[in-house]
Amino acid sequence: MAGIWIYSEDTVVAQQLMTMGRPLADQLGQPLCVMTIYEQDAPEFVAAGANKVFVLKGNSAWPESYAPAVAALAAKESPTALFIGATLRGKDLAAKVAARLKTGLVTDAFAIRFENGEIETDRVMYGGLAICTEILQGIGVVTIPPRTFEMPNKDTSLTGDIVLVDAGVDSTMVVGNVCPIVRLGADITKAERLVCVGRGLGKQEDMKLAQELAAGLGAEIGCTRSIAEDYHWLPNETYIGLSGQKVKPVLYLSIGVSGQVQHVAGIRDSKIIVAIDSNENAPIFAAADYGIVGDLYQIVPLLTEAVKNQR
Amino acid sequence: MLNIIACYKWVLDEQDIKINPGNLALDTSRAKRKISEYDRNAIEEAVIQAGECGATVASLTFGDSTAKQSLKDALSRGPEKAYWVNDNAAQTADGFVTANVLAAALRKIDKYDIILCGEGSADSYGQQVGPRIGALLGIPAITFVSELKIEGTKVIATRKIGDCTEVATAEFPVVVTLLPEINKPRIPSLKQVLGAAKKPVTEWKASDLGLGAEDLSPVNKIKEIKGFVMSRKNVLYKEGTPAEKVAGLVASLTKEGVL
Repeated sequence: MAGIWIYSEDTVVAQQLMTMGRPLADQLGQPLCVMTIYEQDAPEFVAAGANKVFVLKGNSAWPESYAPAVAALAAKESPTALFIGATLRGKDLAAKVAARLKTGLVTDAFAIRFENGEIETDRVMYGGLAICTEILQGIGVVTIPPRTFEMPNKDTSLTGDIVLVDAGVDSTMVVGNVCPIVRLGADITKAERLVCVGRGLGKQEDMKLAQELAAGLGAEIGCTRSIAEDYHWLPNETYIGLSGQKVKPVLYLSIGVSGQVQHVAGIRDSKIIVAIDSNENAPIFAAADYGIVGDLYQIVPLLTEAVKNQR
Repeated sequence: MLNIIACYKWVLDEQDIKINPGNLALDTSRAKRKISEYDRNAIEEAVIQAGECGATVASLTFGDSTAKQSLKDALSRGPEKAYWVNDNAAQTADGFVTANVLAAALRKIDKYDIILCGEGSADSYGQQVGPRIGALLGIPAITFVSELKIEGTKVIATRKIGDCTEVATAEFPVVVTLLPEINKPRIPSLKQVLGAAKKPVTEWKASDLGLGAEDLSPVNKIKEIKGFVMSRKNVLYKEGTPAEKVAGLVASLTKEGVL
């Protein structure tokens, strides 16, 4: 029956994907269908514009275990493309679904286009150095990061089919002990302003410089991978980069960050990028709107003072 | 005895890739290769776990002829033997192809209890080969693992997925993909590097594994790969006193309306 299909174990993310899926489905002249494992959320998807909602009903509370059910339904109904929210749970499921469907999987697509009758996706490669544009073939499975698209408008007068499907689940793994990760600071992916620290900081006590600047700016603090993973000065959840957090602040200001390509991949969507580093040739300056070449131990206290006077 | 297989990919070092400023084409002619960082964690974890439970560790890779260089590097990190699927299909492989090849190689190896992979590769970071292998072999795959324990005939793995952790348990055989934080890969000693040359390597072609053109052809069509350039203002304050530089920056940021 073709169609543009959406799935996420996170109902908010699934709706964000619908914002991309609705016009794509219209261009193709195909229905927009949503798969969900939560029956109670089905009407919300209809109000957001789904022509059809498949509710996968299984006896498992673990979202990843629905991969066989998602694959079986897709094999039966042959959608044109299946877009899955690129949460880590979604990525796990997407890979298992794509393997069962013997099809490709585009991970973390940031743009989707309909061109010359085909669906094209863009994603980054080589740690953020390059963009790879692919044309989907077969049942194209694509994951898209949360918050890539805004939430769609809701209209409760819209109608759509809600279909319950008996779901076979993967019971080869037993999952328990689910614990929330307690964040010490705020969620940096949602921060409007960010101060990011890198290896240019000589010792942990110097974090104080960054903290004072962040306080002056009303910013959160993030860091590079080595600050979190090698030095443990900040928790892992605060490192920015391709395999860490991707941030979209209005102002990103780095202190002593050299700007490896993987780090820059995590800050691309920032509105204004500012870098302070002593090495004029550091790659961060190529990625920055504004930069100061200088000794951060001199620059940062002066900047903190200036910022305080401004506010 | 338990058999642990650590999979790795021999990738281009992205630090050596240049972008042609005119057409944004990638120039990989000077790029050296390396074992994908994430997969070094997989090899290390295999060796650490084997040390605790007395398992045998083998490495497994799929690459073209350039991957021959990788074997000594991989073996110097501790595995006792290496498997190498040497085939030019690796040059165009996507996650679909790579998983087909690795799963076929694992079937041929036959004896495997725990298959370890990095969570993704340093070049394409598709984060899919491990779970695909699990699906193809019909065995569980536990992804994004930050802590791994082997107990009897099962693995107990702590997964770190966004805002929570959870513990997944599965009987052998099982695929586990690892987060980089799980360990710190060793830097091989001279003795380990020299010792690696004496370790056995098994080499196969894709055809030795019963794979055909359909298994070895990527599904999606690559339209283009080009350099990702950011257009930024690149205003640099490098002359003058620190106070002058700061004043210049503050003026700019005020104008941007971000202070």
